[in-house]
Amino acid sequence: MTLPEPTPEEMEERAAIDRSTRYPVMFFFTSAAAWLLVATLLGLVSSVKLRLPGLWDDCAFMAYGRLFPAHLNSLVYGWAMQAGVGVMLWLMARLTRNQLRNQAGILVAGHLWNAGVTFAVFTSWFGFGNSLPLLDFPKWVWPFLGISYLLIVAGIIPMFRNRRESLVYVSEMYIVGAALWFPWIFFTANILIGKGSAPVMASGLDAWYITNLIYFWMAPVALAVAYYIVPKIAGRPIYSYPLAHASFWLLAFLAGWTGFSRFMGGPFPAWMPAVSGAATIFILLAIAATVFNLMATLKGCSKIWEFSPSLRFTVFGMLMLATYAVLAAFSSTFSFGQDLQFSHFLVGLDTLAIYGFFSMTIFGAIYFIVPRITGAEWPSGKRIRTHFWFSTYGIITLIVTMLIGGIAQGGNLANWDQAFSTSFVNSSAYVVGRALAWAMIFFSNFSFLYQLALMFAGKGRKSDGPTLIHAKPGEAESARAAAGL
Amino acid sequence: MKSDAFTKLIGGLAIAFALPLILLIVIPFNHQSSLQPVPYPEGQEVDGGMAAYPDATLYKVGESDYGAKIYAAEGCAYCHTQVVRPTYAGPDMWRRGWGGREEDGLARETRPLDYEQEEIALLGYQRIGQDLSNVGHRITTRELMHQHLLDPRSIDADSGMPAYKHLYRKSPYGKGWEPTAKAEALVDYLLSLKKDQPLPGVVTTGG
Repeated sequence: MTLPEPTPEEMEERAAIDRSTRYPVMFFFTSAAAWLLVATLLGLVSSVKLRLPGLWDDCAFMAYGRLFPAHLNSLVYGWAMQAGVGVMLWLMARLTRNQLRNQAGILVAGHLWNAGVTFAVFTSWFGFGNSLPLLDFPKWVWPFLGISYLLIVAGIIPMFRNRRESLVYVSEMYIVGAALWFPWIFFTANILIGKGSAPVMASGLDAWYITNLIYFWMAPVALAVAYYIVPKIAGRPIYSYPLAHASFWLLAFLAGWTGFSRFMGGPFPAWMPAVSGAATIFILLAIAATVFNLMATLKGCSKIWEFSPSLRFTVFGMLMLATYAVLAAFSSTFSFGQDLQFSHFLVGLDTLAIYGFFSMTIFGAIYFIVPRITGAEWPSGKRIRTHFWFSTYGIITLIVTMLIGGIAQGGNLANWDQAFSTSFVNSSAYVVGRALAWAMIFFSNFSFLYQLALMFAGKGRKSDGPTLIHAKPGEAESARAAAGL
Repeated sequence: MKSDAFTKLIGGLAIAFALPLILLIVIPFNHQSSLQPVPYPEGQEVDGGMAAYPDATLYKVGESDYGAKIYAAEGCAYCHTQVVRPTYAGPDMWRRGWGGREEDGLARETRPLDYEQEEIALLGYQRIGQDLSNVGHRITTRELMHQHLLDPRSIDADSGMPAYKHLYRKSPYGKGWEPTAKAEALVDYLLSLKKDQPLPGVVTTGG
């Protein structure tokens, strides 16, 4: 079964929607890509610093404890969330067939958000942070991000309420979820941390916030993209709607319970890490069902992903999501968690979530959206290929080295009669892998930012055919089909 | 019909979120905020004749909690944990000195009340460096702690810790380095890290 061809009126309507989202969405994408470059550079420098602790000793800004939070803040708030918001806005407008109103408000929110990110990155870098990963900024910074996000939610929800189809798409459900859940976890964590006299809960809340950001915000946004792009490019409906709904609600009811399993055996009532661990394991079901659903939708069209950049990035992102869910479930059991807890494995896991599944899926969306809102095609398919492969090599290098390095480090830590420093010495070779990975990711995103800047400046390729990864003359027809046009 | 689907979706999302928010966050948060010091039974001998666990003054070094702020701002918690896990969850207590004073039979896992003096308990992210829950028992003098911060590899050649030279300034009298107020506060804080106060009602076997 294939979807019907759009009529000229529908094409006109879509073009109008795309025009209405152009400036806000491009603003979010370009500033996100710029922050991504900053984040990958900080990731590279912090990894080098971790391998060579004596380097640049005199300089306060070059200590790992300052570089790493600045890297995380710029990667998550600067890149991931901004790019995600841009995608949410465009997808919601297209799915509900509404033009984006209040563009000025969204642009104000975008500037406010960038101000918040700048403060968050520089305060943690310049020594005003609080050592809580991803919430590592002074108290006065979070209202910038919080208020800005609420302004964006105020733009997204009315579109959903005024949608012009009676059917609710799965992608819409995920976007509404992501829109409402983020402020909830962000405000809860920031309001409660440091309040009352529950010092231990501050660290617990931070761990809860990190995994909730991954399962309650990153996963929904990435899945909204996948549920849009995969059927669109394959040209057929989703394999199973009931399965999509069931896995949505399964994820929704489990995600909020995760997080405390990062402190198994920590100073919490024992049921809290146990419940979190169980939730992380059951989430595996939701993720497996979702990824199966998407792959079944694609069945028999695997050739397309060789040509379509959007599909290639999205499918890779979904495979990484499945990998993440499996590894997260393993490390929440006592038998694996004992050794993996607090090791390099954790960094590998968090980066797998932020870069492996979230960013790769979002790249897919950006390669799909930007030509539509700027009315031009990507200048070079070769650069897209560079971006894909170096990102892939980078993230796989990072995951494998951090995973194996984490196991090695955790094993050395468990040998309690060995000198402690053996765990550092033996794992430092793997940190070289982490540095190499960030170097590759930095290189790949350089070509991404370059292309995006060309598109932003209106220097895209003016042509009726989409830019594909392999554009040999003989394959033009299958390529056209591949792009869903 | 339209608003119906909207209300249902929002309602479902709200329930999905409210359950963990209340059960996993708010109730444990309130419970922990309301924890009271536990008095020792009469006759139980503990260091310096304290009345209750936790004792706010027992291990405190220095006047303010500025040192804890420096610890947080320098990002120490990205490499150092302050969690000693019980033996079912990891071998932390087997590592010499991590759980506290073994020779006195006082080594134990960390408990929520151990962190009562701090505004935010920095349990940590990774364990690239040693666990610091009881570092105050392992490094006992200010000189050694300063040396550790200023030149970690002079103590352990394989140490992965960066030198915190920016917390020190060149001594005006020629040779050597002089700690700033930040370094002194950080050392106060590190020396105060001792999380092995005996628990009331638990008989210790050592000593």
